[in-house]
Parts: sequence; structure tokens; C-alpha cells
Amino acid sequence: MMPSVSTMQGEAQPPCQVTCPIHQDVRGYIVAVARGEFSEASKLIMETNPLPSVCGMICAHPCETKCRRGQVDEPLSIMALKRFVVEHADHGSPKLQGESEQGQKVAIIGSGPSGLTAAHDLAKMGHKVTVFEHENAPGGALRSGIPKYRLPREVLQRDLEAIIALGVEIKTNTELGKDLTIGGLKNQGYRAILISTGLPLSRGLRVPGIELDGVLLALPFLREVNLDRQKIQVGKRVIVIGGGNVAIDVARSALRLGAGRVHMVCLEAREEMPSFPWEIEAALEEGVQIYCSKGPKSILGKDGQVTGLECMRCTAVFDAEGRFNPSFDKGEVSVIDGDMVIIAIGQASDLSFLKDSAIKLNEGGQLLLDADTLATSEEGIFASGEVATGPGSAVEAMANGRKAALSIARYLTGRPLAVAPPAEIELGELSPQIIDKIKRLPKQQMPALAVPERVQNFVQVELGYDRASAVREARRCLSCGLGTEYIEEECSTCLTCVRICPYGVPIITASGSVDIRVDQCQACGICVNECPAKAVILKQYQDEEVIERITTAIANASRSGVRPLTVVFWCSFSAYATGDFAEFVRTKCPSNIGILTIPCVTKIGIIHLLKAFELGADKVFVVGCPEEYCPYKESTSWARRKVDRAKKILDDVGLGAERLEMFNLPNVDIEQEEVLFKITQPAKQTQPDPLNG
Amino acid sequence: MIVGKQKPLPEIREMIADYGNILILGCGTCATVCFAGGEREVDILASSLGIAAKLEGKERVTTKHTVKRQCEWEFLDEIEEKVKQADAVLSLGCGVGVQAIAERFPEIPVLPGLDTLFMGMPVEEGVWVERCVGCGNCILNQTGGICPIARCPKGLINGPCGGYRDGKCEVDPTRDCAWVLIYERLKKMGRLDMLHTSQPLKDYSKMGHPRSITR
Ligand SMILES: Cc1cc2nc3c(=O)[nH]c(=O)nc-3n(C[C@H](O)[C@H](O)[C@H](O)COP(=O)(O)OP(=O)(O)OC[C@H]3O[C@@H](n4cnc5c(N)ncnc54)[C@H](O)[C@@H]3O)c2cc1C
Ligand code: SF4
Ligand code: SF4
Repeated sequence: MMPSVSTMQGEAQPPCQVTCPIHQDVRGYIVAVARGEFSEASKLIMETNPLPSVCGMICAHPCETKCRRGQVDEPLSIMALKRFVVEHADHGSPKLQGESEQGQKVAIIGSGPSGLTAAHDLAKMGHKVTVFEHENAPGGALRSGIPKYRLPREVLQRDLEAIIALGVEIKTNTELGKDLTIGGLKNQGYRAILISTGLPLSRGLRVPGIELDGVLLALPFLREVNLDRQKIQVGKRVIVIGGGNVAIDVARSALRLGAGRVHMVCLEAREEMPSFPWEIEAALEEGVQIYCSKGPKSILGKDGQVTGLECMRCTAVFDAEGRFNPSFDKGEVSVIDGDMVIIAIGQASDLSFLKDSAIKLNEGGQLLLDADTLATSEEGIFASGEVATGPGSAVEAMANGRKAALSIARYLTGRPLAVAPPAEIELGELSPQIIDKIKRLPKQQMPALAVPERVQNFVQVELGYDRASAVREARRCLSCGLGTEYIEEECSTCLTCVRICPYGVPIITASGSVDIRVDQCQACGICVNECPAKAVILKQYQDEEVIERITTAIANASRSGVRPLTVVFWCSFSAYATGDFAEFVRTKCPSNIGILTIPCVTKIGIIHLLKAFELGADKVFVVGCPEEYCPYKESTSWARRKVDRAKKILDDVGLGAERLEMFNLPNVDIEQEEVLFKITQPAKQTQPDPLNG
Repeated sequence: MIVGKQKPLPEIREMIADYGNILILGCGTCATVCFAGGEREVDILASSLGIAAKLEGKERVTTKHTVKRQCEWEFLDEIEEKVKQADAVLSLGCGVGVQAIAERFPEIPVLPGLDTLFMGMPVEEGVWVERCVGCGNCILNQTGGICPIARCPKGLINGPCGGYRDGKCEVDPTRDCAWVLIYERLKKMGRLDMLHTSQPLKDYSKMGHPRSITR
């Protein structure tokens, strides 16, 4: 396995990592997927993400919006790749740092993503964490809000179990304010308390007809559906008020519960809707009808039962100062008929548990917090997640929980709470000239259930990538910032790199030196093995490691004593990584063949080929991908040049050029036997290398 | 810059046959730029010789080093220790470098790994061409900036000869006739009149060896 490619300290980071609220090493795990190293990918994900399975399915994935591949064609499907890793890798058990000497009792109120992240982090630091949860099962809005067709509960359970395995205790059916008090917790010896109670209340509407039968609020509705409390009866024609993610979840859930027709009504124009665009698409596909730029005027009824919604046109959602302050054209009224209205216009906190406490609130009636440390006005009490920040996404709540955990840890060990966050440098944008030259690679589509199969039940809609599409999708990553490192003192300014880079990355500077622009480099590696001064190295693939790996491959292959001893330099992407094939090579490959994966044949140097012979190989193969599938340009021709020169040397030293062969796979899905035949057959005719007597 | 080419491997093997411990010395300037003897070539050569030695059943130790420029004694100081350990230095610098090493370390054999070829420039990636022979008496001002001595195989200073065909040289029809190039360039400059006077006989004594200058 190749060493991990995690970001080095102090280097500019790719935008995906900078944008991710919990700074996942996105690039690192995607590159690992591209190489077929799924366990390595899993390790990188778990290092910073306590809810990897959940995030693989419902994350708001702001990283994708900033992905630099998006400047070329479409961004990477980062979330889908995370899901793939979680579903396909061996994870190993979570690393416990063990109970620390200074481990202290911490109480966390609320088991949503924020509370769980804080619990995870504090437990890993050795503290004794108890999470108190009002509902009958942990997970917060992940369980009570997000419908199962987006997040199956066994997925949530998988992440919960890993957190519990760290020693976190979760007590359900326990409500702060009713079963517990802050003072009581302190008396029980909890040295710090974190309030992460989310926004459990649904906002209502002040319109005529609100009291009618058949008018529901979103969160209680979703809670009933999701917590299987009782079989909910939905109307035949359901109207959902709201344009956010919660409204969409309500609408799609109502469809699945048997509503013949679901209409959504929102203030915003289509492009202003706060919901994720992919959620809106899915709802439309399933037949939800969305009425935009409409506000509720009154709920109509007959005999105490809802019959429809009277709407007026919303002319603007925000006022001149950009505040939410909708204005309406009261003259333009329309009626949508229906027998059930579900209101999904926002969530609010419930701080009633603070009644008798001294914890201070701000003017808006929310918790008064120190923005840097998340400390409340009372010592040892902190708050995180949506109760602290207002509505947001799960991963933001997680990041906030992590921030609180760090403050709490400092508090518990008597250190000053506030520390400056590390400065982050983000890689610059790709330049238009470079974008023009990057190969376009289509995004791998996510397979999904057909609409008629979806709307009958709560089965998960998105099916997830298989190995081949995951590897292909991961190959689209531009490995931003992970390309070359240029050592100016070594450079002879021969300008070779300037001349040969297929993307035009190296440039001549005003002072006459060369600059291989790290933020533009595509990491193909062509210049690395061409630079005559060895002034360019690849951050993820250096000579010493390669030679070490050749040594290991040869040692493994020679253990069997079978000749000819064969070394195969195999492109780790595509066919090799797509799974079954790698498995085949692993299990059925003759024992005299040592396989060495390389991130594209462009990274082969003549010295690597010669080293294999020097170390005793009888026969060496270089196997590349089909050119049209390679994300890089000119990969085959540059690799071929090196192979040809090495062949000439082999002739000159008397070993014979025929000992070295290179071929490209004719296509990705080629018959496995056929590929292996090419490697095993000619090798059989090779005389043992006299070097290896 | 000076352009050279690595000698064929069999020739190098023959040259080093009598030595067991060799210092392969690269040059970080011209020889690097023309891919004949930079740090990468030093690696490749060391590995190739290693394989060859094993095949011959010989014990051979190779040490690798690349200096900034072999043609300056001061840059050679850093290899003193390595030179002491070696039986011979195999230089991947130009002929100047080889001699500089020989002068700096009089007691050790210095073997030329390159054939030094010419003063020239790259015209495309991997292709170098000769442009100047260092005649000591430059006439480029009169020949449209194109040197007939370096670029005409006959070195004619009043060309072309009668043998050129379709703008190509009779000695090597794959190459442009230098004098046709001169004509075309002068035409572009509007200075064909420069061809009306013939060049006086060239003073080749300025090319007499060895030459030197003092600042
Ligand atoms: C329907 C819906 C869909 C969503 N979809 C997405 C999505 O697709 N992607 C995304 O990123 N985000 C989504 N979100 C937002 C995301 O779920 C929230 O940002 C996140 O859950 C907030 O985390 P939290 O830990 O702050 O609070 P919560 O998840 O709300 O957890 C708070 C927990 O505290 C408990 N609690 C409250 N009061 C008490 C008390 N007094 N005593 C004990 N326990 C208490 C609650 O029962 C709850 O379990 C969605 C939210 C909803 C409601
Ligand atoms: S191309 Fe890869 S490294 Fe660059 S932003 Fe996208 S996912 Fe991150
Ligand atoms: S190829 Fe190497 S030596 Fe030449 S300019 Fe580029 S970095 Fe410098």
C-alpha cells in the first residue's frame, strides 16, 4: 500500500477540505479510492468524522460546491464516494485512547450530530461522557427528522455503535427540565455540561383556519413517521407550506404514506428556495407539485375540517436590507384545495429547561454564548449545535460540537478556553488556460430506484456506487495541490518541464527562474521523471518509496522459489482498482509475480525499471490503462519513451531488451484471464536472470 | 551552451573495465541541460553499470555525485573525499570538465563519459543543433545572423556552392542550405545588397589552439 497522502502541515489546502466544516481530508480519501485502497480511505475519513455513514448519505456537502473539478466540468461526487467507502471498506475498530488520568465526567444533553460529535471527541480524549436524550432513541434530527428513504436507520445505528464503543453512555427517554436539572447534574459530579438540544419545535402560522382538523406541524409529523409511534393517516390531497429541506421531507414522506397528491407552497421563487437543489429535483421527479412565490392567506375549512389553502402572491421575500420580511400582492389570490395542511416554515429552540437556572439569554431569547469558546454565562456549561447557531446542516452542527468539545477539554484541564484556530491557506483557482487543457471526464451517475418503486415505501432511494463507478468517479479528482514539489536550488533551468508539461503549468518567472505552480499542477508526473536535474519530485510518489516497494515485491515473489521472477508495474487506477480484478490478482496470481501499483504509468522512471532488474527480476512488465480512460494526457507515449530507453540499456548490458514489456489494457472491462495470460505466458519463456543465479 | 552525448554503454564499460571503485560524476550545468550527464543520468548510468558488473561477475562499487559545474575547480573541492576513495572518476561533464578534474586531482584517472560535440541550442524538446564553432572572428553581422561556418558543412563564407537543390544542402539533403537561409533572412531584412560584396578570406589563425583570454 502506498503511504497516505494526507495534507502536510502548513501547505495550501484544497478547497474541498477548507470548505468542509470538519475539514475532512477529502482529497486524501478520494485518491485512496482511486487506487483501490478502500481501507486507507476509510481510515482517513474516520480520523475526523464521527458520523461517516450518516455523512455519506445526507451531508449537505458544501465541499462539492467548491470542488475545482467543477471549474472543468462537474464537481466530484464526494458524498457518494464517502458512502461507497463506508459500505465497502474494512474499518477496523475505533481507536480508543484509553481512560486518561485526567478523565472527567461530562454530561451532554441531546444526541443529535452536535452532541454525538462532542461525545465522540471527549471520549477519545479519555473523558467519561454520558449523553442524555429526550427521545426513545439517539440521533436527534437524523432519526426524528430525516426520513428513512434518505437515511436508513441501520446506517445511523452503525455510527452510533462506533461512538458507544468508545465508552460513551447514552441514556434515552431522559429529558432535561423534567427528568434532570442542571443543578442535579452538577451534584452528580458532572464537571462540564454541554447543551446540544437542537431546534425541536416547529414554528406555526398566524392565519385564519389554523385550528382546523387536518392542520399539522412538520416536526411532530416527521417524528411520528420516523419514530414509528403510530401509523399516520395522511389526507388524499396534502398541502405542505414551506420551501426548505424539512418541507421537502414532509412532502416526499406524505407521498409515501399514500397521499394521492402533494402540493408545496412557498414564498420563494424556484431559484431562491432554501432547500438543496437535488432534493427539489427528487421531489419533482416523484410528482410533488411546487407552487412558488405564494404565501398563505388563510386555511379554508368546512365542518371543522381542512378543505384548502387560500394564497396570495409573494412579491419579495426579503426587504431592502436583506432581512426576511415578505411582501405580498393581496389582490392576487388563489386557492389550492386539499384535506391536510402541514406547516414546515422553520424550527425553534425550546429552552424551557432553563426556567430555574441562572444561565443568561440574549435579547433574542437565545442562549448568550461566547462565540469563540461556546461557553454560556455559567461556568462549566457550554452549548453547541443548532441551539447555539440556529438552523444549519448536520455537518455544521458536528463542527460546532467539536469546537465545544475542545473548549470543554481545556476547561476540564484548567487551561484557558480560547485558542486561535489554525490559519488555513486555500489553494487558488485553476487558471482558464489550464482548465482548457484538462481532460473532461463525465461524472458517474448515482443509480437510484425508479420513481414508481420509490413512492410506495420508505426504502432508500439512492443505491450507491459499485466499485467500478466509485473508482472511476474518484479518478476525476484533480488531486489539487498534491502534485509536484519544485526544488529551486536543484533546477538547472533547462526548461524541459516548461516545454513538455501537457497543461502548461511550469512558467518562466520574471527573474529567469522556473515556477511549477503548485496550485495549477495536475500531478501527472511527466516532468518528474524527465527533469534531468531531479529538481521536481512528486509529493505522493518518491523514488525512495518506489524502490522500497520494488524490493518488497521482489522479496515476495522470490519466496516461492519459482522462476521466472516477474515484476509488474501496474497502474493502480482503473482496471486494477475496480475490484474483482484486484481480487483476482491477489488470490490467483502465480506466486512468482510481484505486483507493484503505481498512480499512472506516467510516474515510471527508467531508474525504477532498471532497479527491478538490478534487484533480481527476470522479467518486468508495465501495464497501463486504456489511453482514453486515463485522466492524464500523453501518458502512454511518455511511459513508452522510458521503457524504450530502458530496453536499449538492457541490450547494451547484455541482459536483453525482451525482458521488459509494456502494454496498455485494450479496455477497462477486459477479460481478467486474458490480461493475466499476457503477464504469465511470455514470462514462462524467459530465462532466469543470470543476476539472480 | 555546450552540447554533448553520453558515450555508448559498451564503450564506457570497456573504459572502466580495469577499475573496481568508480566515482560517477555528473555536471549540473550544460551536461544536465542536454540530458547527457545530470543527476538523473548519473543514476541511470550507475544502475546500468551495476547490472553489467553483476552479469560479468565483477565486484564493482560505484559512488554518485553531481557538482554544479565540473569546469570550475572551486566546485570540485566538495568531491575531494570521494575522489580519494575511488580508483577512477567517470565524468559526465564535457571535455572541459574532464580536464578540470584531471588538473584538480592529478593522481586519479579521469574517464570521459561523454563525447563533447558542439556549441548549440535546443530547437525543440530533445533536439539540439550546432550554431557556433567559436572561430574567434565573428561575421554574423554580415550573414544575416546565420553562421555559415557552423551551419554549412563546407564552411563556405561566400556561398552557396553549386550543389544545393530546392534550398537543401548537397552534403545532407535533409538539412537546409545555410546560404539559402542567409539569403532569405537578408531578403526579409531588405539587405540583399550585403551579398554584393564578397567576404575577404577568413583569418583562421584566430581559431588556432590553445586560445586564452585574460580579463
Ligand atoms: C427534517 C429534517 C431534514 C434535515 N435534512 C438534512 C440533510 O439532509 N442534511 C443535513 O446536513 N442536515 C439536515 N437537517 C439538519 C440537521 O439534521 C441538523 O442541522 C442537525 O441535526 C442539528 O444537530 P443538533 O445536534 O444541533 O440538534 P438535533 O439533531 O436536533 O439534536 C438535538 C437532540 O436533543 C434532544 N433534546 C432536545 N431537548 C432536550 C431536552 N430537554 N432533554 C434531552 N434531550 C433533548 C432532541 O430530542 C434531539 O435528539 C435536517 C433537519 C430536519 C429537521
Ligand atoms: S478535484 Fe479533488 S482535491 Fe480538488 S477540490 Fe475536487 S475533490 Fe478536492
Ligand atoms: S525540467 Fe527540471 S531542471 Fe529543467 S527547468 Fe524544469 S525543474 Fe528545472
